[in-house]
Amino acid sequence: MAEVRYENASRIYPGTDIPAVESLNLDIPDGELLVLVGPSGSGKSTALRMLAGLEFVDEGSVYINSEDVTLTPPQDRDIAMVFQNYALYPNMTVQANMGFALKQQGVAKPERAERVQEAARILDLEPYLDRKPKNLSGGQRQRVAMGRAIVRRPQVFLMDEPLSNLDAKLRVQTRTELADLQARLGVTTVYVTHDQVEAMTMGHRVAVLKDGILQQVDRPRTLYSRPVNLFVAGFIGSPAMNLVEVSSEGTDGLRLGSLALPLDEQTAHDLAALDAGDYTVGVRPEHLQLASEGIAGEVTVVEELGSESYVHVTVEHQGGPLLLVVRAEGETMTQRGDNVLISCRGPVHVFAPNGERIGA
Amino acid sequence: MSQQTDRAEQVKRLQRREGWRRRLPLVPALVFTIVVTQVPFILSLWYSLTEWKIVPPEPRTFIGFGNYVDLLDNRFFREAVWTSVWMTVSAVLLSLLLGTLLAILLDRKFFGQGFVRTLLITPFLIMPVVAGLVWKTQVFNSSFGVLNWLLDSLWFERIEFVTRWPLWSIVSVLVWQWTPFMMLIVLAGLQGQDQSVLEAARVDGASSRAMFFQVTLPQLRPYLELGILLGSIYLIQVFDYVDVITGGGPDSTNVPYFVFQRSIGGGWQFGQASAYSIVVVIASIVIATFGLRVLSNLLEGEKP
Repeated sequence: MAEVRYENASRIYPGTDIPAVESLNLDIPDGELLVLVGPSGSGKSTALRMLAGLEFVDEGSVYINSEDVTLTPPQDRDIAMVFQNYALYPNMTVQANMGFALKQQGVAKPERAERVQEAARILDLEPYLDRKPKNLSGGQRQRVAMGRAIVRRPQVFLMDEPLSNLDAKLRVQTRTELADLQARLGVTTVYVTHDQVEAMTMGHRVAVLKDGILQQVDRPRTLYSRPVNLFVAGFIGSPAMNLVEVSSEGTDGLRLGSLALPLDEQTAHDLAALDAGDYTVGVRPEHLQLASEGIAGEVTVVEELGSESYVHVTVEHQGGPLLLVVRAEGETMTQRGDNVLISCRGPVHVFAPNGERIGA
Repeated sequence: MSQQTDRAEQVKRLQRREGWRRRLPLVPALVFTIVVTQVPFILSLWYSLTEWKIVPPEPRTFIGFGNYVDLLDNRFFREAVWTSVWMTVSAVLLSLLLGTLLAILLDRKFFGQGFVRTLLITPFLIMPVVAGLVWKTQVFNSSFGVLNWLLDSLWFERIEFVTRWPLWSIVSVLVWQWTPFMMLIVLAGLQGQDQSVLEAARVDGASSRAMFFQVTLPQLRPYLELGILLGSIYLIQVFDYVDVITGGGPDSTNVPYFVFQRSIGGGWQFGQASAYSIVVVIASIVIATFGLRVLSNLLEGEKP
């Protein structure tokens, strides 16, 4: 059980000027599952490996349980890591794989066997203890990698895209199992993924990174409803938020084509204090609707998902065509080529030219 | 139904034709290889069943397995076999050990790594005869050799190495030439290791020692086996080094050299010599069979 803290931690790879991770500040309380998410090259894996000790920390510090471990080698940090390709020891059986760390600690054989057995029971691996990794399926290998981590009862779990080598269905299933297991064991966990759905569904809190810089760290719901900048707004949510460049016309508010956008009081107030100019407006598909009034457009694609459908509509906006995604009922009658009207019920997010959120 | 079988027949015919179109250009090479290797081999098989002396010329007479039966009683042949075994085993194991140590050294990054690697490989690029001559005249030689110059400068007595330790003189040249080969094979194994497995071992708290003996070495096993087998197949038929360094003599005549001595080297007993060479071929085939099995295991292991 432990808390983890990054303090202005940076990693600059030799031969480059741009830090892979730049002054990262993060506080992870005991027992939390924190997800690091971002596109490739955002520094999320590097940040995790800094905590593991597999990557140097060039500036700043990393703490586990308020103990400075910045210069501690990985074997002395009491952490367990699950790798993307599982990194099982190919020459050892499942049992030996899971017991390897205990063997290094000098734990006696009977206790080792008992703890491996216990972990195998939790993960349904008992029938496979004597197999070699190459004789296991992808899902089983993934569980062995998990088992190797939990057998140790470490202070912190580190997981580097542990589900990305599984097929789509198994990934969704394992996702919930993993979240449940983490909650039961109550071990502080840092989880890296590039999949924002995985991040949103698993994380107690989610930290969004881009180009090595932390953009926002918050509960999934807040991340979704109050993205602090344009990047987070576009990255979180599937399908993505409609982001539209809009010129403000003084006190008249913001218009999407002919449609006046409903702004909340704070945003309208803050916007009024700013100069007229080009802002970016973000509206999630579920906050737009096909209605009997509003902005007119033509349907180009209908994505039917069963419970709901996403209608792609081309509208006219500031003299050019603009594609909007609107959420509609599951059994919509709308087809490609239909002329529809779209209204907006808000909330509407507004971002300044530098990408920062305006308003609360 | 019959239409289906027709279709299958057609596909088979097409495949066969396509196969031949690809193989046809290889046929001249195949014919050449058969003429220069397999025909002589079959002739040797036949000669090994005859008594045949060229100088002075005697008619060739068929004696069945007589030559093979005589082998068992021949003290010189038995000695040659032991020399072959000693030479092969010690040269292979020593070069493998040294090669592994050098490979571990080369596996980590340091300044001038590429240069050092090239230097380490060079012994392997030298022709065996040249290597033998260089060692004999510049290293072992009692008057001009580097080793004796060293002994001399340290006030020790000069030693005629080749006369005193003929077998080990040859083995040391073999080790010198074959260490780079073993090094390259082991290096390939080391660099083929999954880095994240090593990282996992570090996170799991393994010391460097534990990491090498419990994670790296077991993974290297197929590579080590491959080195042993390829080395054995080659070194069991070493001839040039023996000829150049000692020219035979007690303790350094291995089976190939013995074959030479018995035939064109002065014995002129072609029937007997053929029987000896067949024994070497059989031994090589046995080792090669194991070798191929190891190789196929190695390739299989790379599948996920």
